[in-house]
Amino acid sequence: MSLAPQELDVLRGLPDELRAVFDAPAEDAGARRLFPPAYLDPEEDEAEEMWEAMVHPDLLRQRLDALELVIGALARATPNKEWREIALTPDEVQAWLGVFNDTRLVLGTRLGVTEDEPDIDPEGPDAGAYNVYFWLTHLQGELIDALLG
Amino acid sequence: MTTAPVEIREPEIFEDTTSDRPWMVIVWNDPVNLMTYVVYVFQKLFGYSRAKATKLMRQVHEEGRAVVADGSREKCEADVARLHAHGLWATMEHDA
Repeated sequence: MSLAPQELDVLRGLPDELRAVFDAPAEDAGARRLFPPAYLDPEEDEAEEMWEAMVHPDLLRQRLDALELVIGALARATPNKEWREIALTPDEVQAWLGVFNDTRLVLGTRLGVTEDEPDIDPEGPDAGAYNVYFWLTHLQGELIDALLG
Repeated sequence: MTTAPVEIREPEIFEDTTSDRPWMVIVWNDPVNLMTYVVYVFQKLFGYSRAKATKLMRQVHEEGRAVVADGSREKCEADVARLHAHGLWATMEHDA
């Protein structure tokens, strides 16, 4: 993967932002999107509780492991002219995909993204978040296209 | 060790008709997950062909939801967890 130095800087900030969401209270919209319920039927609330107790620690572990893989890969970035190159292992590709997607889910939830083209005020407070969102969409799309062949 | 007779109480048998009914795993449409990513995840998690994964993704996108797997409660709970690990919005419910 080839990244501009500024891109690398933004990626280096993602793990801390995601950790903050993992630590957020369960009612936080971003946290709810990353750890949604399995059952919609209120009569299954006991099964839901048991499922969450069993699954959520494991889901959190997987997400923290993915962050570590991303941090490790970012540390290997080597300069090549104006770019920074990182060769990703298959496990790292999966971790990057997950971290890109989780970050987009959190940003998209906060921004209230819909399937319609958003009306972004370039001077508004959300402009920066939209930039990161669409840039990650692009990076994630490239990774998936490479995986799907 | 005692040889005294022990009274064994037979467990109450009752019909639990709900536990035998199959469960379905539903994936819901959301505006963030990329269509190609959803196809990739269906192929990766369930071993579906590209064609089947694409058809299910289209159904999610156009109808708002699709049944992507079914089976016992335990299997569906595990499938939902794997889908959540990949950021897809999945729930489970009884087959109607």
